[in-house]
Amino acid sequence: MTALLQILFDALSLGSLYALGALGIALIFGVMRLVNFAHGDYIAFCVFALLWPSIDAAAIVFAGNLPTIILIPLILAIGAGLSVLSEILVFRRFRNANPATMMIASFALGYVLKNFLLMLFSSRPKSIDLWSNLSQQVEIAGARIPLLQVITITITIVILIALTAFLKRTRFGLEMRAAAENFTMARMLGVKANRVIMLAFAISGMLAAAIGLILATQSGTVDIQMGMSVMLVAFIATVIGGLGSLPGAVIAGFLIGGASVLMQVILPLEARPFRDAFVYGAVIACLIWRPQGLLAPKSAKQRV
Amino acid sequence: MSRLKALGLAATFGALISGPALADDIVVGFATAESGFMQAYDKPAQDAALIRIDEINKAGGLLGRQIKVVTADTKTDRAEGAKAGLEVLDKGAELVIVSCDYDFGAPAALAAEAAGKVSFFLCAESIKAGIPGVGPHSFSSSVLAAVQGATMAEWAYNKKNARKFYRLLDTWTVYNKGICDGFDWQLPRLKDAELVGSDTFKNEDASIASQISRIKALPQEPDAIMLCTMMPGAVSAIKQIRAAGIKAPILNGSGVDGSYWLSAVPDLSNFFVPAQGSIYGDDPNPKVNEFNKKYKEVTGGDPSSQYVYPGYVLIDVWSKAVERAKSLDADAVVAELEKMKDEPTLFGPRTFTSEIHHQNKGRYLIIETTNGKPAVVDEWTISEAIPVADLLKQ
Repeated sequence: MTALLQILFDALSLGSLYALGALGIALIFGVMRLVNFAHGDYIAFCVFALLWPSIDAAAIVFAGNLPTIILIPLILAIGAGLSVLSEILVFRRFRNANPATMMIASFALGYVLKNFLLMLFSSRPKSIDLWSNLSQQVEIAGARIPLLQVITITITIVILIALTAFLKRTRFGLEMRAAAENFTMARMLGVKANRVIMLAFAISGMLAAAIGLILATQSGTVDIQMGMSVMLVAFIATVIGGLGSLPGAVIAGFLIGGASVLMQVILPLEARPFRDAFVYGAVIACLIWRPQGLLAPKSAKQRV
Repeated sequence: MSRLKALGLAATFGALISGPALADDIVVGFATAESGFMQAYDKPAQDAALIRIDEINKAGGLLGRQIKVVTADTKTDRAEGAKAGLEVLDKGAELVIVSCDYDFGAPAALAAEAAGKVSFFLCAESIKAGIPGVGPHSFSSSVLAAVQGATMAEWAYNKKNARKFYRLLDTWTVYNKGICDGFDWQLPRLKDAELVGSDTFKNEDASIASQISRIKALPQEPDAIMLCTMMPGAVSAIKQIRAAGIKAPILNGSGVDGSYWLSAVPDLSNFFVPAQGSIYGDDPNPKVNEFNKKYKEVTGGDPSSQYVYPGYVLIDVWSKAVERAKSLDADAVVAELEKMKDEPTLFGPRTFTSEIHHQNKGRYLIIETTNGKPAVVDEWTISEAIPVADLLKQ
């Protein structure tokens, strides 16, 4: 029972990261059919924002030393700012381009961001001790769980509830859902395109910043590659969830996290290095079963 | 003498005297990364190599000639690596020094091999960095990853009385696998030592919670955990293992040497790393501490990890081989290098044979980190060299 609970918590905490990532990608895809591959680099950028630029091996922690109450809003604002800025400077010019072109533009943007960080900080991964008291253990029904895991799961749930409330209960949320459903129609009915899109980018950037903070606290590492793997899984989650569907992305994020943890537990040692092959095998099976995704939004269906 | 032959002679002579003003210099070429992500790994060892070159030049040079350095940037790109190799060869390099990593260094080393010149990897620790992966003129001055795993296992068995080992492998790189291969080779040779569990993870894994749950599910904590990983995932794994309350000694490869990352795991204790020399100012050999000072004077910073040292070693052993061969001829220099048996260097003895141009046995300092402070606590040389056949099998 305890072991089962341990697995459940491990799965939930990994799934939370993927779900937050998937949500960030699905939001943007919903409003402008853009798969933003620079999302992983937003994550890295936000974490590097904790440091002072230097190419020394040891990190010079700068913003990271601020009190939590200032630090969290600051990093979230940096994430949102970077994301909105990339919309204004880059993606706005591609608004009428086809999705493939926009995707390539997002790759290019990611490349620029990565090399910018490389220039300022060098390729050496740096270390940072962020909120180390969060790594202490708490005991929940016999399972010993790092406090950070509990917080990650809680934060994810809070963010999901807040975002749902925002989308369902506010005017901006309504506009965003309308835009995700049918962008042209929404515009014709008076939804201001730029405002909705910028808002989506801002929220997506904040989600990236949140992932960055969690990753940095958990791993103690700041690395220019650090957002990549989360971004990749998050992208896959948005596809499985049904491109454009926010609840689908979140559910799929948790599913992939769960599958990954489960494979690690049940696979024999010889097969464990190929864990991801099994996880992605399951992804393929899932897509064969439901090519449109678990929860395909209505807008994704072809209309006659 | 025919007119044609006379013309040829004149041309040869002309080429000789119209060469660069300092044609007498011996050229050493660095085909290493000056940009891209390998730069951060190549530069420290290259700086150390330059320090040794400077020492030799100040002491009168090699074979009475000064060493001149030429460089070409591989831009952390394998195709550019081959070009960089050719570029330094064109500039007359007698020795080609290539990137730290086998994959990134091999293209330039192969270019040197094709030109019949000696090449040295700055600090590669794969058996391929040498005869099997490049050819008979290629060397690496570091010590094989497998030796690191074997050293830690044998040392912990003898000095920490470890009997129950746990093995956690990060499947990302061949280097990581090399450490665990050495550990696997050593373990059956230690009487009563047993492997109580084994698991794998990936360097980029956001969380290794399930791997940790598996360790915690053991009936009793292992005597030592062999952790075969490297940066940046290493920090994350170590932090998570300690955060989960697992206090067992953690044994590592040299890849995690250095204090630059310790801030991420404050008060880390019971943590062991093998190193060729100590960057912490407490090396048993005072000359190493002097070198550290010199390195700081030249580069403005302390060595960040032990991977600075192989750069110094490679110039040291190559120049000795050249002096002994009294020639720059690649085959003659290789023959002298292959005669080296426990050749003393600042950073431990080096042995090369016609079978292996790498160290399958080596003296390591054992660095223990206690309350976040690393210090030399011991030194260890594995009791038998890892056979080349076993290394190649891996």
